[in-house]
Amino acid sequence: MCGIIGCVGREDETLDVLVHGLSKLEYRGYDSAGVALSGDRVDVCKKSGKIADLRGALESREIGGAAGIGHTRWSTHGPPTDANAHPHLDCTGDVAVVHNGIIENYQSLRDELVSAGHSFQSDTDTEVVPHLIEDALADGADHEAAVREAIAQLEGSYAVAVVLSGDDTIYAARNDSPLVLGLGEDAYYLASDVPAFRDHTDQVIYLADGEFATLHADGWHVSDVDGDEVEKTVDTVEWDPEETGKSGYDHFMLKEIHEQPRAIRQCLRGRVDELTGSVDIGDLGDLSPTGVQFVACGTSYHAALYGAQLLRDAGIPAQTFLASEYATAPPPIGDALVVGVTQSGETADTLSALREARKRGARTMTVTNTVGSTAARECDHALYIRAGPEIGVAASKTFASQLTALNLFSLGTTRTSDSREIIGALRDLPSNIQAILDESNAEAVAETYVDSGAYFFIGRGLQYPVALEGALKMKEITYKHAEGFAAGELKHGPLALVTDDTPVFAVVTGDGEMARKTIGNVKEVEARDAPVVAVTDGQSDVERYADAVLEVPETHPQAAAMLANVQLQLVSYHVADKLGRSIDKPRNLAKSVTVE
Amino acid sequence: MSIDTAVVLAAGEGTRLRPLTRNRPKPMLPAANRPIIEYVFDALVAADVTQIVVVVGYKRDRVRDHFGPTYKGVDLTYVTQHKQLGSGHALRQARTAVDGPTLVVNGDRVIDSNIVRDVVEEFERTNEPAMAVLERPETSQYGAIVLHDGDVSELVEKPDTDEYRLINAGVYAFESSVFETIDETERSDGELALTDTIGRLMDDGRVRGVRTEGMWVDATYPWDLLTVADEVLARGHVDEPAQSEAVWVDPAANVHDSAVLQGPVVVGPDCEVGPGSVVGPNTALGQNVTVGANATVQSSVLDTDTRVAPGSTLVDAVTGQDVTLGAGTVVPGGRADVRIGHQVFEDQRLGAVIADRVTADGDASFAPGTLVGPRAHIGTSVRASGTVTEGAEVIR
Repeated sequence: MCGIIGCVGREDETLDVLVHGLSKLEYRGYDSAGVALSGDRVDVCKKSGKIADLRGALESREIGGAAGIGHTRWSTHGPPTDANAHPHLDCTGDVAVVHNGIIENYQSLRDELVSAGHSFQSDTDTEVVPHLIEDALADGADHEAAVREAIAQLEGSYAVAVVLSGDDTIYAARNDSPLVLGLGEDAYYLASDVPAFRDHTDQVIYLADGEFATLHADGWHVSDVDGDEVEKTVDTVEWDPEETGKSGYDHFMLKEIHEQPRAIRQCLRGRVDELTGSVDIGDLGDLSPTGVQFVACGTSYHAALYGAQLLRDAGIPAQTFLASEYATAPPPIGDALVVGVTQSGETADTLSALREARKRGARTMTVTNTVGSTAARECDHALYIRAGPEIGVAASKTFASQLTALNLFSLGTTRTSDSREIIGALRDLPSNIQAILDESNAEAVAETYVDSGAYFFIGRGLQYPVALEGALKMKEITYKHAEGFAAGELKHGPLALVTDDTPVFAVVTGDGEMARKTIGNVKEVEARDAPVVAVTDGQSDVERYADAVLEVPETHPQAAAMLANVQLQLVSYHVADKLGRSIDKPRNLAKSVTVE
Repeated sequence: MSIDTAVVLAAGEGTRLRPLTRNRPKPMLPAANRPIIEYVFDALVAADVTQIVVVVGYKRDRVRDHFGPTYKGVDLTYVTQHKQLGSGHALRQARTAVDGPTLVVNGDRVIDSNIVRDVVEEFERTNEPAMAVLERPETSQYGAIVLHDGDVSELVEKPDTDEYRLINAGVYAFESSVFETIDETERSDGELALTDTIGRLMDDGRVRGVRTEGMWVDATYPWDLLTVADEVLARGHVDEPAQSEAVWVDPAANVHDSAVLQGPVVVGPDCEVGPGSVVGPNTALGQNVTVGANATVQSSVLDTDTRVAPGSTLVDAVTGQDVTLGAGTVVPGGRADVRIGHQVFEDQRLGAVIADRVTADGDASFAPGTLVGPRAHIGTSVRASGTVTEGAEVIR
C-alpha cells in the first residue's frame, strides 16, 4: 500500500506540506519515500527507509517549487532502494511521476521503451510512466495531452500524479487505486487518503475511476477519459479519517488481534476438507521434502520453530535457523527444502538467507503474507498465509496465520494416518479464539502486573515458541524486559533472575507428560515467590500453583499454541496501553525490516 | 438536497432475543446466514449512500470486527453510545460524524432498498423530514402511524388497540438540524426516544410519512429467526450462488455427493455437509458449520461454527455460534408454549433455541420450546426441556 501526496499554491511551504503529508500516510506501510518539486526544473529527493531518513536527506538540499508531489512506498516491484523509491523521472529529468497500484502491462511497455532507447534507473513498474510521457512530449503533445496519452496505455490499477519542469500544475489520474483532492484557499492538494492533507483543509473531492484531474494555484479541473468536464461534488470531512481505519479501536494492534478469527478462516478457506481428512495446498502438496530448513527472523522465527516441530513430529527432519546467521554461516543443506517465513516477503535477512541457499542449489519456498513480494518471486514455491494487511508494527494476526499455514504445509506434504482430527481442530480455531476475545481477563492481569520489573514466559514443546513470542511482544510494545524460555531450561541459569517482582507466565495445556513437567518448573519459580500466571485449558492442575489464570478452550495440542498466544498478545497489549506506549509504532522498530 | 450519509443504530442489545444476544447485539444475529445489519447496509449501498455512521454500544467489538473500516467500498465510521439511553440519544452520538442531511435507520431489522429509496425521494422532493410507513397487522408491537395527506398526524408507540394499520418502519431522513431538535427533546423515564423528537418536528412543522413496501422483517423473540430466515430464503436474498432452484451453496463449502440439499436452503462458506445427510428445506447454515453423516436438518438456522455430529435430527432449531451437538442429538421440532420469565408465549413454532458455545454430548434430546443458555453443557442422553440457564451442567 503506497501513499501519494501532492500540493500546489503553497509556494515556499510546498516541501513542508509534502513531508508532513507523507508522515500522515506512514500508516499505510513504508520502506522508502520521496518528493519532486517543479519550478524551472524538477528537483527530486528520495530515500529508502522511513520518512525520517528522507528528512535527513533533505536537510542538505536546497529544493523548492510551486507544485510538488510525494510518495511513501511499500515495495511491490523491486526491493526498497533509493533507486526504486518514487518519484521516477524520464530520461530528460523534466517529468516526475508518483504512482500507487500495479501496472500489469509494464513489462511489455518497458521492453518497447528500452528498445526505443530509453534508459531505466529502477526495477519498478512505475518508471514506464515518465518515459511514456517523454515520448508523447517529443511527438509534440502539450503537457496535459502527453500525460493523458501515457495514462491511456496503462493497464492495471493506478493512482498517478505527475509534475513537469516549467509547469506549476499537477496532473493526476486514477483507476482502482484511491485518490482524493483537497480544496484549500488558493491551494490544492491530492492524496491517497484524506489524513495526508486534513490539517490544511476539510473540503474534499473523491475522484472516480477513469477520471483525470489538473491542479493549479488558480484552480482545479476534473475530466473524464475523453477530456469532457465532470461535475464533482465537494464533500466536507469532519472526522479524522485515519481513525476509521482502526474501526473505532484505539490501536491497529488491538483491531488486528480481534481480526484473528477472520484471518484464520481466510487461511483455511478452500484448503481443508474435514470429511475426507484432506488438505489442498496446490502443487506444494507434491513437494514431499526429505528434510526442511526454516530461515526467519523475529516473530516469523517463532512461527518457524513451531513449524519445524510439526514436521519433526510427522517424521521429517526439520530445523530452524535465524536468517541473519544462516546468511553468513549456512549449515550443510543436502537435499533439504529451505523455507523462508516472512510476513512482508521483503525481510532483508531472510531474503539473503534464501539467496544463499539457492546459490548452493537448494529448493526454496516462502511462507508469506504478501503476494508479489520479493520472497514470493524469488523462491521456487510460495505458501500464502492470507492474513490481510497488518499495520501494527508488532505482528499479531500474522503469527496466528503463519502457524495455521504451517499446519497446512505439514499436513499437505506428509503422510499422516488420520488428519481429520487436526483439521477439525483448525476449523475450530476461529470460534475458540473468539471465545477468548469475548471472555479474556487479560486486562485485569495486565493491571495487576503492569509495574513489575521483568516478565518471563515458559512453555514446552509447541508452547515453547509461544513463550518466546509472548516475551517478544512484551518487549516490543511495552519496552520492558521480558524473556521466553523452554520451561526445562529455567533452572539452568535464568532462575537466578526470578524474584517476587518478576511474574512468570507459564503456558500449560493438556495433562500429559509435558504439562506435568512444566508444572514442576512452575513450582520452582513459585518457591522463589515469583507471581505465576498460568495460561491453561484447565486440563491439568496448574491453577493450584498460579496467582492468576488465563483460560483457553480445550483443543488439539497443535491448535493450543494459537490459543495461548492470543491471551499473551492481550496481556502485552494492555500492559503497553496502561504504560501509554506507542503501540502501533514502537520506538526504533519498523514493520518490515528491509535492511540486513 | 441529496443524501449520501446514513446513521445506522446498532447499539442496543435486543434483550427479548436473549439468550442469543449474550455475546453480540441483535443486529449481528443471523437473518438466514448473514447478520441482520448486513441487509441494512446493502439497502443503503443500493440507495447510493456513500458514508455510513454506525452507532455501536452493547458488545460493539463484534460489529467492528465483522465489518472493519468499509463495507462494499462504503466508509464505515463507528461512534459509541456508552449507555443505551434511547434511540434519540443513540443518534445524538453521531452528531460529529454527520454533516448535512442524513438517513437514520434501525440496524436490527432486515429492510429492502426500496424503502430507503422512497424515503430519500420524498425528502429530496419536499425538503421536509420523512419517515417510511408500512401497512402491517402487528401495529401493537411497533409505532403506529396515522397519515393525513401524506403528513404524519399521529405517532403512537405500541398502541393497545388494534384500530391502527400503519407502522413506523424505522427509516428516516432528516436535516442536520435534527440534532438541535434532539437537544430540545425531553427525556421520558431517563431515555431520549427518537419518536419523541419526531413528535416535536410534527409540532414545529411537517413530517412526511412515506407509504412504501418491500421486504421488512423483524425478529422480536429468538424463535422469530426461523420466520426471518423463511422470508429471506423465499426472496432469495442470499450472497451464495444458486446451485439449483433455491439451493444456494458457497463455493468454499464441502458438500458430500450423497448429501441431499432440499431448497430453499443456503450453505455458507467453509461448511462441511457429510454423506447421507439431508439439509433443508427452509434451512440456513452460517460460516464453517459441520453437518455430520446421516444427519437431518430442516426448518433450522445454524449459526457460524455450529457442529452437528452424525445421526442427529434437528427440526425448527436455532443455534448460536460455536454450538456443538453430539452424535444422535434430537430436536424433534413442532409447536410449544414457551415461557420467558413470567410470560408464556403460546403455541410457538420452536424446536429449540441453543445459545453460543453450548455443548451437548451424544444422544441428547430437546423438547419443543426448549431455551438453552450460553455455555451450558448437556450430558449424554439428557432430555432437555424448558429453560436451561447460562453455564448450567445438565446430567441425566
